Amino acid sequence: MATTVILGVIGSDAHVVGITILERALDTAGFDVVNLGVQTSQAEFVEAAETHDAEAVLVSSLYGHAEQDCRGFHEQIAAADLDVTTYIGGNLSVGQNDFEETRQTFRGMGFDRVFDSEVSPEAAIAALKRDLGMQEPESERATVNS
Amino acid sequence: MVRDERLTDEQLHRIDERVRSNWPTGEAIDFEDAIAFHGTLPDHKQFTEVLESADRPLLQPRAGVPRLDDQIKLLEHLRTEGEADLLPTTIDSYTRDNEYEKAQEGLAEARETDEDTLNGFPAVNHGVDGCRELIQAVDAPIEVRHGTPDARLLAAITFAGGFQSFEGGPISYNIPYTKEHDLAETIENWQYVDRLAGAYTERGVTINREPFGPLTGTLVPPCIAIAIMVIEGMLAATQGVRSITLGYGQVGNIVQDVAALHALRSLGEEYLGDEVAVTTVFHEWMGGFPPDEARANGVIGLGGMTAAIAKPDKVITKSPQEFEGVPTKEANAAGLRTTQQLINMVIEQDVQLEGVDRELNLIQKSSRELIEAVLSLGNGDVAQGTLSAFESGALDVPFSPSDSAKGDVLPARDDDGRIRIFEFADLALSGDVKEIHRNRLDSRARTEGREQTFRMVADDVDAISDGMLIGRPAGGQ
Repeated sequence: MATTVILGVIGSDAHVVGITILERALDTAGFDVVNLGVQTSQAEFVEAAETHDAEAVLVSSLYGHAEQDCRGFHEQIAAADLDVTTYIGGNLSVGQNDFEETRQTFRGMGFDRVFDSEVSPEAAIAALKRDLGMQEPESERATVNS
Repeated sequence: MVRDERLTDEQLHRIDERVRSNWPTGEAIDFEDAIAFHGTLPDHKQFTEVLESADRPLLQPRAGVPRLDDQIKLLEHLRTEGEADLLPTTIDSYTRDNEYEKAQEGLAEARETDEDTLNGFPAVNHGVDGCRELIQAVDAPIEVRHGTPDARLLAAITFAGGFQSFEGGPISYNIPYTKEHDLAETIENWQYVDRLAGAYTERGVTINREPFGPLTGTLVPPCIAIAIMVIEGMLAATQGVRSITLGYGQVGNIVQDVAALHALRSLGEEYLGDEVAVTTVFHEWMGGFPPDEARANGVIGLGGMTAAIAKPDKVITKSPQEFEGVPTKEANAAGLRTTQQLINMVIEQDVQLEGVDRELNLIQKSSRELIEAVLSLGNGDVAQGTLSAFESGALDVPFSPSDSAKGDVLPARDDDGRIRIFEFADLALSGDVKEIHRNRLDSRARTEGREQTFRMVADDVDAISDGMLIGRPAGGQ
């Protein structure tokens, strides 16, 4: 059975291009993708993860307010008694902050991995497969490493 | 159930009553008084008069600030320093969301602090008199530009306030702009706007309507944009609109842009018939701009040159500060002058581009397939056909945030930068057309020594802001 992942843009952010491309990449990589689209609330992410028995929740944010939008997110996930891997990626803070600092902030909030907006979908998917303990076919590994 | 039928006078009045009670300024609307006001405007401020009699592409910028006196100064600057032929009034985001209370607070704050606390002109809050003061003070025709799914009150106030051109439409101001607005509802809302424009038109005050052609502004295939323009044009014509400007956003490949503008005009004329005056507007590049004014001027210049060859009736210009958001009035005027210089230098040259006819045929054929699919899905009713086409994905817009569109179609550039369709999903195109798109993308993939993948799409989205047209893989071909 395919692994289900939840995808969406959190808060009142309406940037749709990134998740559109990511949805396609995950789909090609064999995941069952539930794309919640733009302007998705924390509750909608949690509810979708529950309903679809998802193994991972991938949160996108490009308008700089990710920290406010994600406050309390992992408490909600815990309250729903969900065991999901969580990633966040995009332009996570306003201005030219040091990304290491941003990564630490979001790791501290409970995200398993934190990506900047330059990361390729392939790299994120490779990490996801490792974190979920998925076997990669030989042919795909070559693409991922290239 | 919404159908493509003209609203009756009784329906128009009933909606009118309800709409004008949405905000106190609605009370000041008086149709007879408005007709009389429009009649006092000189010929050179009558929008359709100026637009439809022009013998060269007219230039129009985007511009909107909260306070009335500032808006007058801004528009006069763009007219005198930018030599704009037509002027805009861009409406703020709160008004676009029908949040007139918040717009009122923003306007009050702007008046107190001297800062632009809104990103546009809150025309509903300024009311009929405020709009008329603007129209009287500025010496050129002015269009209302916005992005409002439910623009009924905005239309009622601005038409009464003397504006004679109004951008938007039920698809083009819904699908690219919002997540949750129901398409059937926006079609109904825009039937009122169009019927009101029709009612003015029947009294000798022609209100020009302009569907928003660039849609999501992100690599939109010409056939999708054109099909939506023609459909919105048909819906508007049903309600009595007689001056329709169909839009198209620059994609950056000159042959494809010229062909698309020709196809837009010819299909518009064909489907809208003799009683509608069809004009076209070309939007300079609506995607991401280079973060560098010199490079941005290059993008704008290519737009000007394309316009000089394709000769649309109107060009909406960009500023070299596009990357940073709202430009200064000087930068805005600079964008107009750069465009004008290119048009002036190129327009009298007889530039023959190879391949325009072939591309034109392809765009016409594909646009027609999409339009006919809509008509047939609705059994001849455009409104019902539109709903069912978006629901099934027979018609779709790439990168749409809306729940009313599938958003499954993905575009990519071919080997000379024309927009092709990489993922068709359920788009109602024939096998012939699909094969052409696939072949062209195949040949790009061969050039780049990689497979056709979504990676191309991602690379293309960023290409122009990165200084290129086509998103080639790093490290050259």
